[in-house]
Amino acid sequence: MNGMANYLMKRFLSMALAMIGLTLIAFFLMRIMPGDPIEAYYQANHIPVTEEMLEQARQEQGLDKPLFTQYITWLGGVMTFDFGTSFMNGKSVSEELLAYFTVTIQLALVAFLFMLIICIPIGILSAIKQNSVFDHATRLTIFSVASMPSFWLGFVLIYVIAFKLDLLPLMGWGTPQTIILPALTLALGNIPFYIRMIRTSMIEQMKQPFVTFARARGISESVIIRKHIFKATLTPFVTSLAMTFGILIGGAAIVEMIFSIPGMGRYIVGAITARDYYVMQGFIMMIGFFFIIVNFLADLLCALIDPRIRLKENLS
Amino acid sequence: MLKKEYLFLVIMCVSLLLGACSDVTSSKSKEGNGTDKNTLTMSWPLDIGEANPHLYSPNEMFAQAMLYDPLVVYGTDGTISSGLAEKWDVTEDGKEYTFYLREGVLYSDGSKLTAENVKRNFETVIGNSLAHSWLEVVTIIDKVEALDELTVKVSLKEPYYPFLQELALIRPLRMLGDAGFPDSGNTVDGIKEPIGTGPWILKEADENHAVFIRNENYWGEKPPIEKVEVKYIADSQMRMMALEKGEIDLIFGSAQLMPSEFTTLQQNDKYVTKISDPLSTRILSLNTTYGVTKHKEVRLALQHALDRQTIIEHVLSGLEQEAHSLFAPGFPYSDIEIEKYNYDLKKAQQILDEAGWAMDEKTGIRSKDGEKLELLIAYNSSDQVHKAIYEYLQGAWKEIGVEVELVAEENQVYYARTKSGEYNIVMNDTWGAPYDPHMYLRTMLGEQQIGNYSLSGTDASGKLTEEITRVIRSTNEAERSSLYESIIQTIQQEAIFMPISYRQNYLVANDVFKTMTFSPQQFEVPTNLYEMK
Repeated sequence: MNGMANYLMKRFLSMALAMIGLTLIAFFLMRIMPGDPIEAYYQANHIPVTEEMLEQARQEQGLDKPLFTQYITWLGGVMTFDFGTSFMNGKSVSEELLAYFTVTIQLALVAFLFMLIICIPIGILSAIKQNSVFDHATRLTIFSVASMPSFWLGFVLIYVIAFKLDLLPLMGWGTPQTIILPALTLALGNIPFYIRMIRTSMIEQMKQPFVTFARARGISESVIIRKHIFKATLTPFVTSLAMTFGILIGGAAIVEMIFSIPGMGRYIVGAITARDYYVMQGFIMMIGFFFIIVNFLADLLCALIDPRIRLKENLS
Repeated sequence: MLKKEYLFLVIMCVSLLLGACSDVTSSKSKEGNGTDKNTLTMSWPLDIGEANPHLYSPNEMFAQAMLYDPLVVYGTDGTISSGLAEKWDVTEDGKEYTFYLREGVLYSDGSKLTAENVKRNFETVIGNSLAHSWLEVVTIIDKVEALDELTVKVSLKEPYYPFLQELALIRPLRMLGDAGFPDSGNTVDGIKEPIGTGPWILKEADENHAVFIRNENYWGEKPPIEKVEVKYIADSQMRMMALEKGEIDLIFGSAQLMPSEFTTLQQNDKYVTKISDPLSTRILSLNTTYGVTKHKEVRLALQHALDRQTIIEHVLSGLEQEAHSLFAPGFPYSDIEIEKYNYDLKKAQQILDEAGWAMDEKTGIRSKDGEKLELLIAYNSSDQVHKAIYEYLQGAWKEIGVEVELVAEENQVYYARTKSGEYNIVMNDTWGAPYDPHMYLRTMLGEQQIGNYSLSGTDASGKLTEEITRVIRSTNEAERSSLYESIIQTIQQEAIFMPISYRQNYLVANDVFKTMTFSPQQFEVPTNLYEMK
């Protein structure tokens, strides 16, 4: 297991490096954007201001200090999970982010599960029943779904399921029923890609010598599919799934707007308009951190599934 | 042979689904309402915020207006009537106001409205100069005294005639009960509870909705409806579906529906729709310090090339009334005769020809002394109505040899541009009641304001600045009237503003209401006057 420990160490170091890079990007990217939270605040309230008022407000909020000083102050807070206070409502960014993030994570998680439930069986089936009616129908369906924008699909889902058939609530948040439609909308956009990926990868694996060899050994077909072909397909699947989880969280913004879900997306859209630096920075940190962790876990998972990965890493 | 495989998949799917459900069942369960006879349900795009009466966004104005009362109330025709103050006196010099509070007014926590409490509210607002330094009703106050239990005297540093008008504003000078103040005593730090004297009491508010119940101790006429539920719906299509499904009964205000969406619903007999009186004016503001709009004859030609009818019919879905004057009749000091600029393309061309702006036959663009007749029009890229109006103008003005360059920008970028004055034309609507006309005109004197860029390049700049400064301080009604007349006529002669239409508010509702109405303040939803069938 020494190999695994070594591998872990290397991954961990690169993760720390990525985090530092992330704080730099999060902080300085925000400052490049035109406008600032002070101006945005007055403008949102249609208040005519003078430069004098702006300067006074900037001083009060510490925005007149040199950028680097501001960065260091902020970084000090980030270390202790204190992302500062929002310019818009004066509340603690960490607390607010956490509250909204919980909602978005729930949504993304359920969407993620929907994706797995739909992609894995359909992908496998259409691979082993290659060129059957089912396979053709699947390919046609995923092709059409892939070409529709997800917000539009969302509206169609709402219209048919919630509005016409009255099966699920139109909007809101808090009950198990309210999560189904938004999660499905969020998942649908990613489903075609994964079905195709599983299908293609399975078909490719089927042609591999180890499959023929397994058959020759007299191993039953179901064991071959499960233990040999599907397992070989898993590595690329897990890696890109990890990325997708991040994409789901990002994509949740639109879905949250449509379904009026009090999640991160709605919060952050407001913060961008308001140039609420600390909120945006906190958001980038949180999402970035999340991406890094999930990728780390995915790499770990792949190394566990496929010993070749950790061995190769150690050799190099 | 593959049966086991299927079984494996099915079990996996079921377990995943169960996992999905258990993930959310922990959240509290809440059931939607039905259409209750005594509950008004409406949508709102944003949550109401903390409902702090003394601060701006993210506190939503409609909620502030439901919970808190001002000393005086702004009526439909601009008249001021009594609110928490039953009557008041003003000294001859216009510098001292004595308010006699209504007796027996109770806050929602049962405490009494007193002069001391009013004083406390005033002082916390005055103390927050950073937020309110733009608002003269706050900065002009010298001191506030409680003369006895129900008498408050407010002394001003200088006379300021719109003082009462601005006291009626939804924020920041409405009254919060003593128990609502934070420990620091300063409401900038937030409030403990939204305790007001208004017709409604906030019963609950979360990320999905807010519920208001009738204030049974309300000093005025109690609302006929018992409960108002406000559901937060961010998307206009969803609002329309929620209305049809009966999850809400009312969509109030042009901020919630585009004109075209409103007319779609209007055509459906199922709904009841209503349009308000003019609330503010849609105005194109010409920059007299930049490019070709420095020249008066260009401004005059553009005035005659503005086809209001087409814009109203095709872009604004016929919902607004044509405007020629800066402020709609009915606003204070605004019934003024002005010389209209009628839509007349020939006349526009003639003005340009006479001024020496010659048409280049090849490009179709006029020019004079090497300067091309080009206009830079900038707008906020998310504003669909502005975009449509400008695109129409771009095509229409091409016919008289004017080239229009449209620049769509993100809100903050656009805002920075208006501040630096790098444009020929931008939209600059009037403020509406109770600000118009004085605030709109006063803002023209502030540096970097859109109105100021319209004013400062004109020959009449000095005269206008002097008159606007004077009218605010005047304590003589007749003098004010004549000054306003002169100001508005001068603005019209200089052709610096192009009023398009009077903006109106609208609402769509299910057929469940007996009475529905609008308030003169455009961000107020007067739910206390609504009655259900």
